[in-house]
Amino acid sequence: MATSLDNTLAALAEPTRRGVVDLLRVRPRAAGELASALHMSAPAMSRHLRVLRLKGLVEEEHAQRDDARLRVYRLRPQPFLQLRNWAVEVESLWSDQLSNFKQYAESGRKGKRQ
Amino acid sequence: MNTDCVTVSTIVTVDPATAFAIFTSEIALWWKPKVPGLFRRGRNGTLKFDSGRLLEFDGEGEPFEIGRVLAWEPARRLVVEWRQDGFAPGDRTEVEVRFEPAPAGTRVTVYHRGWDALAANHLARHGATGNAFTSMIGLRWADALTMVRQTSACQSERS
Repeated sequence: MATSLDNTLAALAEPTRRGVVDLLRVRPRAAGELASALHMSAPAMSRHLRVLRLKGLVEEEHAQRDDARLRVYRLRPQPFLQLRNWAVEVESLWSDQLSNFKQYAESGRKGKRQ
Repeated sequence: MNTDCVTVSTIVTVDPATAFAIFTSEIALWWKPKVPGLFRRGRNGTLKFDSGRLLEFDGEGEPFEIGRVLAWEPARRLVVEWRQDGFAPGDRTEVEVRFEPAPAGTRVTVYHRGWDALAANHLARHGATGNAFTSMIGLRWADALTMVRQTSACQSERS
């Protein structure tokens, strides 16, 4: 859990890559479109996209088979679900433990203290 | 503004002093780890408040220090630092437990804070600034956390 979160955050620590993620939140886009929207050269954008792909934040999708120029990038939902799960896990941990605590305080130890 | 607090609460049918005593001195008897390795990967132990610290003992070697006790007010309130598996050195969150009289006994509320700061630390280690964190991850987290935050219950009156 911590490792993949770290991975996600590492990929997002770079402003351009955050820009890419924000653009892709709206809809999938081609590499060239991302490059011009963020005022970058195609090779520089390609390097950022490679990082995002390796870290599992985005994936490529071929708008039309056999045409590499129509390759578009889109967000993968998994890393963001992980961020969400993290908070949900904390809540679930304490719900479980407080429920154990309540059960124990109200029944298990009855008579011990009174 | 509090954007990083998870709040969970329950009501127990004992008075606040008893609830506090059970919560602290009998934690080894009610804390049941659902998933092994919450504090140390692959290991599982019992919890104990000892000499101003919350520790996990697993019968082998040194106990794991979950955190130092920051406030100890019997029948009212407890604050303890909270570290678990996967935290980098220096990373910590904070757990506050409040015991308040309720018609049926005691309302026990856990506020687990500091998750934003933890994520910010992760980012800082990867070279991002606090501002970048707030503007980007902050928004995304605010969205993701809406589910668990439901209310503004995290504003505990710091007395």
